[in-house]
Amino acid sequence: MRLRFFAALRERLGRGGERTVAPGTSAGALWRELVAEQPELARLRVRIAVNREYVEPSHRLEDDDEVAFFPPVSGGR
Amino acid sequence: MLRITRTPIVVERLVRAVRARGAGAIVTFVGTTRDHNAGRRVMRLEYEAFAPMAVAEMRRLAARATRRWRLEKVAMVHRIGRVPVGQASVAIAVSAAHRVEAFAACHWLIDRLKEIVPIWKREHFPGGRVWIGPQVTPPRDFVSKRRRAVSVARRRRTTKAT
Repeated sequence: MRLRFFAALRERLGRGGERTVAPGTSAGALWRELVAEQPELARLRVRIAVNREYVEPSHRLEDDDEVAFFPPVSGGR
Repeated sequence: MLRITRTPIVVERLVRAVRARGAGAIVTFVGTTRDHNAGRRVMRLEYEAFAPMAVAEMRRLAARATRRWRLEKVAMVHRIGRVPVGQASVAIAVSAAHRVEAFAACHWLIDRLKEIVPIWKREHFPGGRVWIGPQVTPPRDFVSKRRRAVSVARRRRTTKAT
């Protein structure tokens, strides 16, 4: 599958790339794998989109998915 | 007109895009880059988008607002890249039969856009730069269960993503 990172995450992890995960891995589990590799990521809050739609952490990933990790969007009031 | 652009926003174009014979009101919102934030001087802002998804989310928001307030038309444009202080970074125009609906829809659209459309802002100030976000998970009532926004971070870990 293809991973993509944006904003503060892109600066830490690069733009993304190909990655293989075990069958049945959830979006949240994939993020925990990334955190295990780079523990400083644990302090970041992320939202996840699969194939350009937001998903719950429990969402099961497929081989050809595009998985995007976002910090919170731009805000203001 | 729903788009992400690298060039200055021309509000009149959005107004033109939402003109309709059935409209008695056009309301616009223009978000501009401010020269200060959180007590410090801001020199410029920089925006980054996941453009195809941002446009898709704008389309969903526009469709939802159109149904809820019976709008005639909606236009939303967000600028990305470097935006100097004092310029428009986002603009929204809506048309409706009456102003009450047009005001309500425009307000709702800018609030939802800021919460869910994947666009990020980086503030450049004397001595550094930082990514700005609301650091909250948006309310869950405005997106379907299938595509709810999520946060997988543990709740007690709420350190800023900067």
